[in-house]
Amino acid sequence: MQRKENETPQGQAASVLVEFLEVAITAVVFLKGVYPSGFLLPSLDSPSSMPFLFFFFFFFLLLLLLLLLLLLLLLLLFDVGKGAFERRRYMNVVVQRARHPQLRYYIHATVSGLLPFLQKGMVDRVAVVFFNTDNVPLEKFIFKLTVNQSYGSSVEGVDLQISLRSFLAKLSVSESLTKKLPPDCRWEITGNFQLLPETGTSKEANFWIPTDTKQWEQPLFITPIRSMSSDPLCLQFYIEHPSLSESSVL
Amino acid sequence: MDSRLSNSSSSTHHSNSKKRKKNATANNTNQKTLGVAWGSKSLSASSCSSRKSPFSDFSSYMAHKNCKLQNQFDSEASASAARKPIFSGVSIFVDGFTVPSSQELRGYMLKYDGRFENYFSRHCVTHIICSNLPDSKVKNIRAFSAGLPVVKPTWILDSIAANRLLSWVPYQLEQVASNQPKLSAFFTLKSSKMSEDTFTNALCQVEPDVQDSFPRVGQLKERHPSEVGEMVEVCRQISNESNDISSKKTDVFMMEEPIGERVICDEEKLAEANSSETNNERNTEGELDPTYQEPSTSFSIPCSDNQNVHQFPSSEATGSSKQCHSTLTDPNFVENYFKNSRLHFIGTWRQRYRKRFPTLSTGLNNGISNSNKSDIKSVILHVDMDCFFVSVVIRNKPALFDKPVAVCHSNNSKGTSEISSANYPARSYGIRAGMFVRDAKALCPHLVTFPYNFEAYEEAVSCDEAFLDFTDAMVEDPELLASSIRKEIYETTRCTASAGIGGNMLMARIATRTAKPNGQCYITPERVDDHLNQLPVDALPGIGYVLQEKLKKQSVNTCGQLRMISKNSLQKEYGMKTGEMLWNYSRGIDYRSVGIIQECKSIGADVNWGVRFRDMKDCEHFLINLCKEVSLRLQCCGVQGRTFTLKIKKRRKDADEPAKFMGCGDCENLSHSVTIPLATENVEILQRIVKQLLGCFYIDVKEIRGIGLHVSRLENADTSKQEKYTLKSWLTSGSASVEKQKYHMGHNKHNSDCANCASSHGCIHSQGSSFQIDNKILNIHVSGDPISTPPPLCQLDVEVIRNLPSEVFSELNEIYGGKLIDFIAKGKGKCESSSSLGNSLEDDATCKEEDLPYSDPIPLNQIFSENKAMQHERVLGSGHGSCSQVTHNSNIERDDLLPSSLSQIDASVLQQIPEDLKAVILEHLPAHRAQDFCSTPAICPGRINQDSVGVDTSKNCPGTVNHALNDSLWAGNLPSWMDKFKDSSCLRKLGEIYHRSGFNSQLSSVLPQFLSEFHHLDLTQEIYDETVNIMCELLKQYVKVKIERDIEEIYICFRLLKRFAVKSQFFSRVYNDIFPFLQAAVDDNYGGSLFMP
Repeated sequence: MQRKENETPQGQAASVLVEFLEVAITAVVFLKGVYPSGFLLPSLDSPSSMPFLFFFFFFFLLLLLLLLLLLLLLLLLFDVGKGAFERRRYMNVVVQRARHPQLRYYIHATVSGLLPFLQKGMVDRVAVVFFNTDNVPLEKFIFKLTVNQSYGSSVEGVDLQISLRSFLAKLSVSESLTKKLPPDCRWEITGNFQLLPETGTSKEANFWIPTDTKQWEQPLFITPIRSMSSDPLCLQFYIEHPSLSESSVL
Repeated sequence: MDSRLSNSSSSTHHSNSKKRKKNATANNTNQKTLGVAWGSKSLSASSCSSRKSPFSDFSSYMAHKNCKLQNQFDSEASASAARKPIFSGVSIFVDGFTVPSSQELRGYMLKYDGRFENYFSRHCVTHIICSNLPDSKVKNIRAFSAGLPVVKPTWILDSIAANRLLSWVPYQLEQVASNQPKLSAFFTLKSSKMSEDTFTNALCQVEPDVQDSFPRVGQLKERHPSEVGEMVEVCRQISNESNDISSKKTDVFMMEEPIGERVICDEEKLAEANSSETNNERNTEGELDPTYQEPSTSFSIPCSDNQNVHQFPSSEATGSSKQCHSTLTDPNFVENYFKNSRLHFIGTWRQRYRKRFPTLSTGLNNGISNSNKSDIKSVILHVDMDCFFVSVVIRNKPALFDKPVAVCHSNNSKGTSEISSANYPARSYGIRAGMFVRDAKALCPHLVTFPYNFEAYEEAVSCDEAFLDFTDAMVEDPELLASSIRKEIYETTRCTASAGIGGNMLMARIATRTAKPNGQCYITPERVDDHLNQLPVDALPGIGYVLQEKLKKQSVNTCGQLRMISKNSLQKEYGMKTGEMLWNYSRGIDYRSVGIIQECKSIGADVNWGVRFRDMKDCEHFLINLCKEVSLRLQCCGVQGRTFTLKIKKRRKDADEPAKFMGCGDCENLSHSVTIPLATENVEILQRIVKQLLGCFYIDVKEIRGIGLHVSRLENADTSKQEKYTLKSWLTSGSASVEKQKYHMGHNKHNSDCANCASSHGCIHSQGSSFQIDNKILNIHVSGDPISTPPPLCQLDVEVIRNLPSEVFSELNEIYGGKLIDFIAKGKGKCESSSSLGNSLEDDATCKEEDLPYSDPIPLNQIFSENKAMQHERVLGSGHGSCSQVTHNSNIERDDLLPSSLSQIDASVLQQIPEDLKAVILEHLPAHRAQDFCSTPAICPGRINQDSVGVDTSKNCPGTVNHALNDSLWAGNLPSWMDKFKDSSCLRKLGEIYHRSGFNSQLSSVLPQFLSEFHHLDLTQEIYDETVNIMCELLKQYVKVKIERDIEEIYICFRLLKRFAVKSQFFSRVYNDIFPFLQAAVDDNYGGSLFMP
């Protein structure tokens, strides 16, 4: 049954989209720095070629030894420096993946719970919402989706991935568009459905609960990050944030 | 003791190395070592030792090492006694793991006078032995093997077992086999006798002779490197013989032995062989080319099927052009396909024949009706050419008269081309029509194959069998007549024919069977029973394989046994018709009479071979050609059809690549059909219908393995034309009244230069897009109309209109016009009410359709703009399920509904049309005509354009400009604002830049360039309010178009605009004007305002 659904272009698009969303949401969470990011990892990751100077050879050797010792200590005893994310490649773009299984599961489960609804084109938008301690949303990263239900021909998964890739690339450089979050904030993933799925009819629908996220009273602002309109998937990615007056108060 | 020992060993080592050094200097090494390429063991070993070795560099070390190994080998070889020089001249190199191991192989080489190389060298090695190759080496086989044969180790073992050097060719590594050239292609069919002799001679000759002669071949090879590459394996037999030689040849050639002076006559022979290659070329091109097109597949096929499959350069006068045999590569695939199709040839001969002798067949018809009436003993003669296709080919080649010959597309011995005809010598080998060449060649390796030669067939006779009814001719001796006919046939065509005479067609045919080849047989009514009794059932016409199997299950093998079964049980078992047929035939009863020409019920064309599509475009292109073919056939038969069926063979999900090359394989058969009210044979209409039908399949074009188009419900073209004529004349009379009223009712499509024509085209456009959402049947009618610029109203329901008297019709027209005005007055949101009205009466339906677009102009624009991009995108305000249908349909119609020229529009008529309508009409006029008027530099790409012509129309009716502006600045391939901006010098610049960047590019990419150029203009020119307004309008509509799907684009544009607003007064005005609108639009769509930092 699952495979049969995937054969439709909408199904194909939806499964690609789900995968993408998982990565993109993780990227957003990483971008906002909700969780600590590792400081030692980049240095470990990138192979650095040292200038081979005979003069400083022994000096370096000593330093290296010391560093290594320190690192080992840190890694072994305190589990520091790894951060909450690890670098991975997705569609040939460097992305982050949550290291903590619960965090990873949350993102994965939420997004894959969307799959049946995405296939039916019921999901209007998927949002990553950041709250402050008072549960007032500070910023929303919104994926506005349109899955063309009448699209007939098959989907080139590769083409779709390439266009989705640009989202990740753009996202990684759009930190300046976002605002700094205060400490101790929390976040959640919400999905806006075009019509509420009837609970009880399907198992998938039961996973979803109505959100109690407070709405902004002030007019909100939109900063588009990336848009993609290709069949059967049309995706808009933008940031919503409250007007400046409110943010200055906070 | 201990120390001494070590001492001595070191000293020997020392002396050894000294010797080695000596050797190295003595041995002049022009040996190019490929040690690096040949595995890491040598490299690592050498790099370790090189540090302290006395050799200056790696190459000298290697040279030395090789030399030493050789010496070692030589000494060992001389030590091994009693060796047979099987492998003399053979020097092998073992690559990778083999069974037996390389050491064992080395042992064999020692034993049998061969050489064994530890390191590969182009100059020493003659054969590479390996049992498996990595993919990278296979891909780059030339770099790997340097052209040397890559052979499996079994070659050596078998050679030893046979006690002689076997040809390496059958032992080639499968992975490589497809790449290696063969000599065999030089020796071809035509001279097969000759060359065979030569080769057998050559084989019998003493070795040196052979060796002497083969350097010539090598030279030849050098002279024609291209030809070497193009060699084709022609005949198994020959190749087997030549393989031996060729292997030796390469040996000789590789070893660079001095060429002996004794050059025997082989050169001449080779020249001959070369010339025969010309003939061969035609034979092979059929199936071979496509394999060459797909080199990747040749690797995956383990057999040597694709060996040396290359394409011949058509330097010869045969003029055979390159033929591609897949829909992928050949733009004229359909044409070529049918050109080369035997079945097509046979299938269509009847038409050609009938065309040639129209009176004859009718005359026959009369005769038959007579003979049927009179119950006198009928005599039917059946004349059948003996293996027609073959005899035509070989009639000019007496040499082949008693050789097995077959006709088929290909002569590749492993090919999957089907044999269509084989002569009697070939049949004696068990070769039958319909066999794969592969199997046939297995049965009879000598088999000579020829390609079809359709012109010759046509020239000789149109088809290969005929029934003649002699009942009325009162011939006293039918046998005499038959023999005279046969004689005459032979004299004129030089092909033999067989004749059978019987009481009816069945018996005549059976008689012919017995008579063949080249004989005749008369089955008198008295002998019918005897003859039939022992006749096997499958000899009866109409009994195919399946039926035969079924009968066999009942242990029915002969007609005599079949007769035992009662008619009833036969009918029960096999169905009414088949049962009766069996019963009748087994008794020699055949009620058919000669000359009855069955009217064909359907005409069509199927292509089930070589159909591969990459994308929709390929497929559509193919369908267009198929339509042409079918249309031609319809025209040939002088008929028109009403029902069109598109059949598609879709690859089954788990089906492998078919056994037959480029065949259809295991397929699902799908079909869709439509029926249109008026019969047609028009190509364009066919194309439209087919396109639409294809749309119904929702199929991935890559999965399509075969397509067939059939036209049924045939009508005679003449009668249907008459029908059309009356309808047309009736319509024109109706149109007069319409014209008087100056309402664009669109019934007068036939006077194509009239303004009404154009106007109703516009209307029907909107109708096509909106009305057909809920009425699919109607849509089929519309698209299927046979007239190329059809009257859309008539399309809606011809039956209804046909039944209307003209007075009623014109009256209805008046009412209709009045209603129309009402509708327009009522304005928006009335579609619902009108739709119910529209459904009640077809004419009303159009009325409602015309109304629709005005009530909701934006979605309409979107439909059109999206059509242009050929995307099935979401349309505002229309249901998901139907929108792709909409775009599709309107697409179809656009081709034929657009007026051919703007000049055809009568300005006065246009002014009478209500404003709203006028705007829509103008919107849908083709831009290429519009350009004639306003001399736009842009050339419109493609056929579709519906740009409004703002500037142009303003001359005629200024009122429409605003409407046109409001709706469609961004509609069309060539957005209409470009015309509009011609007036304003500064904005024209924008148009030009946009034009340069390609029309489909986004505004954001154009804007910066424009702004920078605009900067200069800004200083010199004053800013007019109008310019600002136009610019605002332009941007507004751009926002409208893009806001829903591409907010990023809008964002970028306005960020740019804002940036330039600082510099330029013009843009600050534009920005200030447009900004509130933008924010409102964003708010509508996204519930927030755009953040502009």
